[in-house]
Amino acid sequence: MTAFDFFLISILYFWASSTALSLGIGYYTVYRPVVSGFMTGLILGDPFLGMAAGAVVNVIYMNFVSTGGSFKGDQCLTAVIAAAAAILLGLSPVEAASFAYPFGYLGILIWKYRLNINHIFVDKYEKAYEGGKNPDISLYDGLYPQILLYLMSSVVVGTAFFIMSLFDNIIVEYYENIKTFLFMAGMFLVSYSVISILVNLKNKYAYLSFGIFFLAVIIFNVGSYWFLVAAAIILFALSNKNIRMDNKSSNKNNNINKKDLMYSWFIWMNFSHSCYSYDRLQGLAFAHSMKNIFKKLYKEKNEVSRAIHRHAEFFNTEPNMGTPIHGYIIHLEEQSSLNANNMDAAYIKKGMMGIAAGLGDSYTQVVLTPLFISLSVMMCLDGSYIAAFLPILYLAGSILFISYSGWMNGYFVGRESLLERINTVKNSRVRQHFPYIFSGILGVASARLILQGLEPSKTVYTLAAAVLSAAVYWVIKRSKR
Amino acid sequence: MKNVVLSRIDDRLLHGQVVVSWIPYIKANEVVIVDNEYAEDEFMSELIKHAAPENIKVNLFSVAGAADYLKGSDDGARILILSRYIENINELINQNVEIKCVNVGGLGNVKGRERYLNSIHLSSQELDMLKAISRKNIAVEIKMLPNDKAVSVE
Repeated sequence: MTAFDFFLISILYFWASSTALSLGIGYYTVYRPVVSGFMTGLILGDPFLGMAAGAVVNVIYMNFVSTGGSFKGDQCLTAVIAAAAAILLGLSPVEAASFAYPFGYLGILIWKYRLNINHIFVDKYEKAYEGGKNPDISLYDGLYPQILLYLMSSVVVGTAFFIMSLFDNIIVEYYENIKTFLFMAGMFLVSYSVISILVNLKNKYAYLSFGIFFLAVIIFNVGSYWFLVAAAIILFALSNKNIRMDNKSSNKNNNINKKDLMYSWFIWMNFSHSCYSYDRLQGLAFAHSMKNIFKKLYKEKNEVSRAIHRHAEFFNTEPNMGTPIHGYIIHLEEQSSLNANNMDAAYIKKGMMGIAAGLGDSYTQVVLTPLFISLSVMMCLDGSYIAAFLPILYLAGSILFISYSGWMNGYFVGRESLLERINTVKNSRVRQHFPYIFSGILGVASARLILQGLEPSKTVYTLAAAVLSAAVYWVIKRSKR
Repeated sequence: MKNVVLSRIDDRLLHGQVVVSWIPYIKANEVVIVDNEYAEDEFMSELIKHAAPENIKVNLFSVAGAADYLKGSDDGARILILSRYIENINELINQNVEIKCVNVGGLGNVKGRERYLNSIHLSSQELDMLKAISRKNIAVEIKMLPNDKAVSVE
């Protein structure tokens, strides 16, 4: 590994973990182990081995959900290290994933630290504003925190690679002795994850679906392409085809045109979590996304600055599902600039943001993401690496559509568009059938993982790891009661 | 008296952490939102009710309305109370609604408040109010998610 490789990997980890500068879909794509494993592999010269290691990490993190700044372990860093370990140390994907697992906890530091440290930029912005300096919000929400985050990410990646280099010799020299342990530990983590997902689905048909698909693959060795096609047909049949996308205005004397709306949406998507801090969460990002709007609505610099500052207070929502709020606020701000009437934007935002977040997280993160990411993992584990990108591209496209249409509907239709959206999601048939589809895909993926290393000795270890993980899960579950 | 499993103070009311983590964790099947402003706002009440997760009943009341409702007879429901303000929960306690635990989950930084812990910002009056509640032998804890470590306010 050269210094240039390291530089590229630090950029990759920064880009993936910042969830900024990636049009809002970075969290659903580059941040996910399948993709970050692939990209690490691309840098180190074996993209598909990297992707295979990432896929195993992804199974371990399949039930990952982050809500309102909460966080468990860093799946992206784990995938980067797993891919590097597979390529540089010659470990198998399962062994590499278990080797990399502890590194995930290193990533938590950066996340917690970031929520704390970004307070500096909030503070600096407030001071500059109070000093009458008309601060440029894009510096405080965008540039500064991103530079700091890059520095922090490269320190974390550097530390991780340093620790890894300490193990280099040990792993290479004693590989024959420890490979069984690494393999079993990997299988333990995988089956622990699968067991906890299935138990949490709390649906007996989901267990049945898992069992049927698992056995079908184990016994008849059905290729994953069949399942991908079947899933595509089922999802298409279940999907809602009448989602409104309204972007024609009845109001002729608007100052704001569609380009302005697109630009502010673009800013929001790129920077929604750029200066994520405990005291404002996405507050500065909301203000940042309103910058071009206010520049159009108000002539005087002070007025623009004051309007942006009004929107810099605490704000937090699901960044894609919650976009009708932004669109609607833009509409209200435009009206209030025309009629010079006052309105309580804070009250409206606060009321709508929680609702959109509750609904949004329980759909984008709990339904859409596991569904498409698990399809991608399933393809990876079958060795169909190119096809593994299809579900991820589809997921990214859906997220963009959800957020863009919400933004436009919020502006052109009004706050009812959030209500409409809530009903669409609640009645979503994909969501209603999610447990069986998801557990079925998981069944196929688990079977593939077992078939991959189909030697008699490995099968015994896999079974032992699965039984052990079930026992540990049971003990932990009991002790929590 | 109805069975209140948990009362939570959170700016965002029925948001991601509550829907995805807390409701399944405490096995709640009814949410009572205590909010004077929203209770009178037709659009907001409709929005909140529409956003209720499946199998969860969501009621929106003013403080006075909530007190009356919660003092009604126990119908077996496991209730989660949500409010944006500590005052509202305090008022319910003063009106003898049985609340065993007050969870503080998220209070943003607005004028007059200072950062207390992570995403919790409190004014000095609010902190005193929490301490007073805690002296009544009601557990007051700061806890964002069910599996987080709880920090007691005493």
